[in-house]
Amino acid sequence: MFNLVQLLIKLSGFLVFLVLEVICFTLVVRYNGNQEKVYTNTVNKFTGWLQQKSTSTYQYFQLYDENKRLAKENSLLLDRLANLGINVQNPLDTAWADSIQPKYTFLDAKVIRNSINQHHNYITLDKGAKDGIRPHTGVVSDDGVVGIIRKVSQNYSVAMSILHRQANINARVRHKNYFGPLVWKSDNVHIFNLENIPKDAPVTKGDTIETSGYSTMFPPGITIGVVDKLWMDPGSNFFTIEVRSFAKLSNIQHAYIVRNIFKQEQEQLEESVINEDE
Amino acid sequence: MNNTIISNIVRFVSLVLLQGLVFKNIGVGWESFPYLHIIVFPLFILLLPLRTPRTLVIFLGFVAGITVDFLYDTLGVHASAAVFTGFIRSFILRVLEPRGGYNMTYSPTMKMMGIGWFAQYASTLLFAHIFFYYSVEAFTFVYIANILIKTIVSFIVSMAFIMIFQLLLNPKE
Repeated sequence: MFNLVQLLIKLSGFLVFLVLEVICFTLVVRYNGNQEKVYTNTVNKFTGWLQQKSTSTYQYFQLYDENKRLAKENSLLLDRLANLGINVQNPLDTAWADSIQPKYTFLDAKVIRNSINQHHNYITLDKGAKDGIRPHTGVVSDDGVVGIIRKVSQNYSVAMSILHRQANINARVRHKNYFGPLVWKSDNVHIFNLENIPKDAPVTKGDTIETSGYSTMFPPGITIGVVDKLWMDPGSNFFTIEVRSFAKLSNIQHAYIVRNIFKQEQEQLEESVINEDE
Repeated sequence: MNNTIISNIVRFVSLVLLQGLVFKNIGVGWESFPYLHIIVFPLFILLLPLRTPRTLVIFLGFVAGITVDFLYDTLGVHASAAVFTGFIRSFILRVLEPRGGYNMTYSPTMKMMGIGWFAQYASTLLFAHIFFYYSVEAFTFVYIANILIKTIVSFIVSMAFIMIFQLLLNPKE
């Protein structure tokens, strides 16, 4: 207590100075036009700046939710885009009820594990059987095909990346309708091979390669890449086509799992035909 | 003792009136050269007796400043500068303390402390006062060059007036 009193006595000069200056400045701002203008201007600027900073900080904390929201919106838009085809093919006035039912739905999933540096690369996603995921469904991202779901647990699913020696995706040349399996043979994560394109096909360098939609895993028209090199090996009836892909699998964060609603129906039908013939 | 108080009261009244009625008009009158502003009333704060308590010096500075402000119709501007001057007076006194220390019964006048010491003392405080005054008057440091020019010009003229007062009247207290 004594120390405190001593301290106050020691500081009394400064305290009196402070109090009087505050009074003076209040008077200055209150009764002098010019200074008042400067003061209000400065205060407004400062509070404006503060407001801006706090808003941007707040927005930063919202980024996670914002990302989730955007991913959800993306999947919704992809839904619409993928289903646009069937609706156009079957205009409403001539269509039967099933055709306006969506064929594909997209579920956004977070990539929680990824590899690109092996011959057999896998991607783990944070959606599983609980979310209605089943094996042999496709996974796409904003810039192309990512892979195919192989196994599903309750909460997770593991997809075979397209960077897998056994991955085989049915692809076609855009607008030319020549199709074949797309495989990964090289060591370069961006180079794929499109096989079974007959040598009379009018394919040129720079043509876009997209999913064909013949498999039940991917909707048609998802871009994969462009033709980078093509040549004919002697004695072969097919082109050897190297495709440069757009997908950036090395830093993928979000992916969309494609669900084909009629998948089972289509596969059962096809299987029954094959079984009949055998 | 009473003598000191009376002479300080007289100095207060005369300096404030001189400042508010005479030098105010000189400053305003020179339209072509608005950078000059003669400020002499801080001399009152400067010449308060050495034994005056620090808080009292600051408070008297406030009183002098606010009185000048009433005459200038710039409430608070002169007062804030005078409070500042009163506040830093003790620091300046400590820096300029002669080898033997102060004789606490003295007032820091030219007669008692010598012309060299007084010139140092008065110029430091006056410069600080005028700089503070123009800063508050502008109320922003955006025009710092302007503030400095005004401060230097006004300081030289005001300092000359203060030295003349001291030489003419040469008060003991």
